[in-house]
Formats: sequence, C-alpha cells, structure tokens
Amino acid sequence: MHIFVMLLVNGLAEGALIFLMAAGLSVILGLVGVVNFAHGTMFIWGGYMSIWVYRLTGSFPLALLAALATGLIMGVVFERFFVKPVYGKVTSQILITLGLMIIFTDLVRLLWGPNPIPMVRPPLLDGTWVFGQVIIARYRVFLIAVGLFVAVGINYLINKTRIGMVMRAGIQSPEMVQALGINIKLYFAAVFAGGAGLAALGGALYAPLVGSVWSGMGIDNQILAFIVVILGGMGSFYGSAVGSILIGLTSAFTAWFFPPLTAYSTLLIMVVVLSLKPEGLFGLAVRK
Amino acid sequence: MKPLLKVDDISSFIGPFHILQGVSLEVYPGEVVVILGRNGAGKTTTLRSIVGQVPPSKGAITLDGVSLVNMPTHIAVRQGIGYVPEDYGVFDLLTVEENLALAMRQRDKPTHNRHDEVLEIFPDLRIAFRRLAMTLSGGQRQMLSIARALLNENKIILIDEPSKGLAPIVIERIQKVLLSLKKKSTIVLVEQNFALACAVGDRYYIINDGRTVLNGSIDDLIDDTALQQTHLGLMPA
Amino acid sequence: MTAKRWLWASYAVALILLLVLPHAIGVMTRELIGRIFILAVFGMSYDILRGYTGIINLGHAAFFGGGTYIAGIMFTRLGTSASASLLAVALAWAFAVILALVMGQFAFRNTGAGGVLACAMITLAFGEIVRHTAETFRQFTQGADGLTFAVPVIFRDRIGMYYYALLFLVVMTLLLRQFINSPAGRVLQAIRDNEQRARFLGYDVRKYKLLALVTAALAASSAGFMFALLTRFANTDLLSVQNTLNALLFTIVGGTGTLYGAIVGTAFVQLVQSYLLELRGIHEIFARWQIFFGAIYVLVVLYMPLGMVGAFLRIKGSLAYWRTSGGNHTRAGD
Repeated sequence: MHIFVMLLVNGLAEGALIFLMAAGLSVILGLVGVVNFAHGTMFIWGGYMSIWVYRLTGSFPLALLAALATGLIMGVVFERFFVKPVYGKVTSQILITLGLMIIFTDLVRLLWGPNPIPMVRPPLLDGTWVFGQVIIARYRVFLIAVGLFVAVGINYLINKTRIGMVMRAGIQSPEMVQALGINIKLYFAAVFAGGAGLAALGGALYAPLVGSVWSGMGIDNQILAFIVVILGGMGSFYGSAVGSILIGLTSAFTAWFFPPLTAYSTLLIMVVVLSLKPEGLFGLAVRK
Repeated sequence: MKPLLKVDDISSFIGPFHILQGVSLEVYPGEVVVILGRNGAGKTTTLRSIVGQVPPSKGAITLDGVSLVNMPTHIAVRQGIGYVPEDYGVFDLLTVEENLALAMRQRDKPTHNRHDEVLEIFPDLRIAFRRLAMTLSGGQRQMLSIARALLNENKIILIDEPSKGLAPIVIERIQKVLLSLKKKSTIVLVEQNFALACAVGDRYYIINDGRTVLNGSIDDLIDDTALQQTHLGLMPA
Repeated sequence: MTAKRWLWASYAVALILLLVLPHAIGVMTRELIGRIFILAVFGMSYDILRGYTGIINLGHAAFFGGGTYIAGIMFTRLGTSASASLLAVALAWAFAVILALVMGQFAFRNTGAGGVLACAMITLAFGEIVRHTAETFRQFTQGADGLTFAVPVIFRDRIGMYYYALLFLVVMTLLLRQFINSPAGRVLQAIRDNEQRARFLGYDVRKYKLLALVTAALAASSAGFMFALLTRFANTDLLSVQNTLNALLFTIVGGTGTLYGAIVGTAFVQLVQSYLLELRGIHEIFARWQIFFGAIYVLVVLYMPLGMVGAFLRIKGSLAYWRTSGGNHTRAGD
C-alpha cells in the first residue's frame, strides 16, 4: 500500500512536469495549428539558464523566473522570424522548428560543454516527509503544486479572460476574430511565447528533480509531451492535462514494477488509446 | 453628397481564380444598398474584399475618404465596419455574452449603453445570455451576429445573406430588425431572397460573373419583371 | 544527336569517371565519396516519403541505423561467414518491413494538416524508442561507446568497397526510379498532390502510404547495412533525429520529388561538412558542425524550397518554354 502511495506521488509529479510542456504544445496546436518541434529546446534552455542564475544568485525563484523569461524571449523570436513566415504551411513549420532544435541544442553544448551539469534541490524543497512507511520527497510535492497552479491558471485564462475568449474563438475561425477588429496574429505570438515559457519553466523544474541538466533531456521530454498531445486529442487543453497524469502515472508504475519497459509503456499507452479512440481522449479536430 | 463607401472597379483573386473582374459600388450615408446576383456571381467576395479578407489586386476602396486597400482586416473594420458574414461567424465555444464582449472594440467601451440597446432589439439574446452559442438556433445565431455588428459605432454594416437557411417566420423577424435599423444605419446587404431585398433596400446593384452590371432604385426593379428574369432568373409572379 | 542520347552519353562519361576516380585520389577523398554513394541512397529513400508521397517521417533513422546495427551485431555474434551475412541481410530487411508496418499503422491514421502533424509526432516517438532500445541493451550494442566490428573478407578491401558502394547506388537508383514510375508510384504522387482527391478516386490512401513507407524503409535499411560494411562501426547517433534530419537535408538541398536531387544534395552536404570540419583547427566553432547544419537547413527550407535539382529543372523548363515560343510570346491581357 505504501508503495502505491509513493508511486502515485512520483507519477503525479512526473505528470506535472510533462504537463508544463504538453499544455503549451496543445494550446498552440489548437489555436495556431502549429506544432513546435523545438519545444524541447526551450526545456533545455530553461534548465541551463536556471542553473546559471541559481549559481550566480543562490535564489531558486530567480532561477525559475530566468528560465521563464528565456523561454518567452525565445518563443517571441522563433515565432516572429521562423514560424510566422510559414503559417499555414505545415510541412515547412515542422522542418524549420526541427532545424531550430538542432541549432539551439548544439549552442547549449557550445556554451556549457557537452557534459551534464549537476543541480541540487534548493534547501527549502529538499528532504522528505515520512508518514509511517510512506516516504515522500518534498520536491515532488512541490512539482505537483506547481502543476496544479499552472493548470488552474491556464483554465482561468481560457475561461475567464479576453485572451481566453480570443483563443476559444480563434480555434473555430481566426478569420472571423480578425473581422471583429482583433489582431489575432498578436495573440498567436503571445500564445506561442507563453507555451515556450512554460516549457522552459518545465526544464528549470526538471533539473533539481533528476539532479542535472544535459543537452539530450529536451528530446526525451518532448517525445513524452508529443505522446500526451496525441493521446489527449490534438489541441485539447483538458486532454493534455488528463494525458499528462496518465503518462506520468504509467511511467512511475512501470519504472517500479518493470523497469526495462519504462520507455515503452508510454508509447504502448498511446498505441492502445489510439486503437480504441483514433481521435484521442478529448478528440478535437485540428483546423487546417 | 459624397459616397460613404466607394468601391471602384476592383479585381480580386481567390487562389488562381479571378473572382471579381470589375466591381464598383457607391453607398451613401443612411441608405440600404442591396447586392443581388446569382450564386457564385461574386457577392460574398465583394464584401470579403471590402474588409480585406480577400485583398483586391487592383481598384480602390474608400470608406469615408480613407482607403481600405492593403489594410489588414482588423485595421479595416476598425475604420467603422460591422461585418455579418454568411453562416453567421458566431463562436460556438463562447457564450452569447462573450460573443458580444469580444465584438466590443476596446476604445468604444465607454459607450456601454449600446450593449443594452442591442439587447433591447434582440430579446432572445438576453434570455440566452449565458448559454454557449453552440446551443443557439440558426435564427438566434443570425441575430447574435447582427447584434455584434451593432455594438460599436460603425459607419457601415455589411450583411451577407441574413435569410439563408432560415425558416420563413424567422426571416420575417430578421426583416423587422433590418427595417428598424434602416432609420439610423448605412447598410450593404447581400441577399438572394428577393422579397426581403425589396422590403428593406433603397437601391440595388446586380453582380454577374464578377462584374457590377446594373444598378438603380429598388422601386424601379420591382416594376421591371423583364429585368428580374434576365438577371436574377426570377419567374414572373 | 538527340537530347536523350546526350543524356545517356553524359551518364556513361560520369560512370567511367567514377570508376577511374578511386585510383586518382587520396584515401580520405575516396572514403568520403564512398560514404556519399551510400548516404545518397538513404537520402533517396527519404525522397520517396517526403518528395513522392508527402509524408514527414521523423523516425526514418531507425531504419538506417537499424540496418547498421543488425549488421554489426550479427557480425560480432555469428562471425562473418557468408551464411551469417545473408542472415544479417534478411534480418535487416525483416526489421525494416515490420517496423514500417507497425509505425505506419499508427502514423497514417489522420488526414489533412493535422494528419501531417500527427504522423511527424508519432514517427518521432517510434524513432526515439528504437534509439532508446539500442542505448538500453548495452550487451548487444555497447551503448553510447559504439560498436566496432569486423566485416566479411570480401568487403575489407577499401578500393573494392568503393566499387561496391557505387554499384549499390546505381542499382538502388534504378530500382527506386522503377518504383516511382510504376502505377503504384503514380498513385503515391497523386496522394501527395491531393490526398482527398485520391481518396475520392477510390484509392486506399493508407495502404499506399504503407507501401511507400515499407519501400523507403527497405532502401534505408539496405543503405544502413552498406554503411556498416563501409565504416565497420555503429553508434546511437545513427538512430537519432539528427540522422533523420540528415536525410531530410540531403533531399531538400538537392530538391524534393526529384529522386536524383538526393544524390546531388548528399554530395553537397557531405563535402561542405568535411570542409567545415577541416576548419576546426582555426576556431572551435567549426567543430560544432550541427550549428551550421541547422542553419543551412533552416535557410534552405525558408529560401530554397525547390532545392538544387528542382531549381535546375525549373530553369530548364522555362528555357524550353522560351525557346519553343520564340521568346516573343505574349500572354493575353499583358
């Protein structure tokens, strides 16, 4: 029983991290019709920048802020110069964002070297709580809290704000939103940058969890986020939330019971869901 | 008097297709101009060209002296255009309230009583205020779409086939609304329903194969059955 | 002489040049050219997908790297006898076909713009799973250290290997050309141009896409196998997204949908790469080939969507138009 609780916490924490990446991807996909294949690159940059700032200042909140800012800036630049010129051309979008992934992943190696850089958990979040036989790492609880906070925040954004109204309307018809006098391209850019910021934040939160950053961590987590996006129904925010939890729990439990299968279990879940429900859990047709 | 909206010999392409090949319109303040013509003649494209959704490749469009050519859609409509597209353009995932709120242009916010004014005209919308637009009937959607165009202080309202796909009783109500707007608004109306067009229009333009071929006063058109037959394919009554 | 004869004559001259070449150049250049021959087939296999069917497969490296690894593992485990080699080839092909069928089963579910995206994401996931597998089963693959192995005796002569690579390129080019000109190949191009229309015409689009994927997988896996014979080394980079993007870059630089473009593109990219790597003595940034690779790649996608062969064909086409119309043709309405 205690193992079950611990795995539940581990799984939810992992799900929260995946969610930070998947939520952005999914919202961008739903509104803008773009998948950013350089999303994992933001994750890496968030991780490296946070460590850099953490070592400089010793402040974990500042480190997280730095990561978020890095992601936002990269998102704005990527959108403006590389994605905007090819809106509506799906193939070119995939190819260009992949190219950016290559460039910016290697830039990390150029700036910080090819070897992993260690990162410790900030003192306040380090350590464990012990309840009888159940041992729970504080940092994982912190991750779950962050994930919940972000989920509630995005939910509020989508349902209660003008940005959210534009997003919900834009999924249906960006052209009509524009015909109401709203510059939807600006919202596209903002959502793209916001998604990038969340991914970078994810990277910054991931580093203390696993104890280091390395240039290959982006693609691994991007794959998980992709699986979540496909699993949840391409472009559905709620699908990405449910999918993240499902994938997080799946990998936590397989990592405990069948360690060699961990990497395959997530893919297997996707395969099973797609076989039963081809449009994903919360099917939403991606507009053209 | 100078025309409020002047469309001067515009040419528009959709992909490789040359849809408009010389459309000219003049709309004067306070009048209701009806654009008539067969299916595929280019009526909808004319409206889409005015708001910049299908930018014309040549020709001129001016609203109150301001050129709309090469203006992105959102800037063009901010010059004072209310656009009610074919198929309503209502956002399904937004409530009626949100549909209206989204249409309310930021700088026009102070004129908030227009919100209530509009709801006066469409009591249906008040009842359905907090419901998602996807639950509305076709007629309610049409009213919501028109209501959105009325929210702002627009100089002109472009309405694309408001009667399309609606039941006669609903069309009657739409007609009443349009007649009530007639007193204070300038309207360009694309309409296939000849009765509705005659009831609300002051003047007409006929578009055929992407060109404006005829124009005149609605009253003359009502009397001229021969013209109705040749250009609109209407059978004599 | 007719244009067609000129063409054949130039092919013959090129072939003779390539046959004489290894005796006239240094070892390094010869190795590089042999590499280009084999990688060009990998590039062409991608063109079958991207250029002729309109599929973006981001796990394509799994087929190539799979071929290399299967060769390497079989040679280390079972030795380099003829029967072991044949078994290795059979396994590499079987692996390609099975993986392609499984991958395609899920990647080709959706249609339209969302379908292209879903396909790219799902194939990426499958590709990474294969790479992950190679990294996990260290007892077979040596993991990140890479696997060094011996190859059958007949492939050990370096000049001989050059000729095998050339032969491989020629044979595969002819086979793939045959494939794209076959009725099935025509259907694939119809799918690329307008998937919905192909569907309305009654073609089972998914089946044809699977056919394209299996064909491309077999070609890529064969290229990977040849690559094993050439380099006698395999590491997980061969299975990475980076390697898939290599193939993509070859086809895009050369021109997608032209088949031969992949050969030109591979040669160009490989030559630029080896030149840049030689510069690494001057500044360490040249050792980071991937930054240049990514930059070239983004610029080509943005500004040279036709690629070299594509641009050449277009210029040739407009020249022909110019000639036949006497250069004084005016369009109506001008």
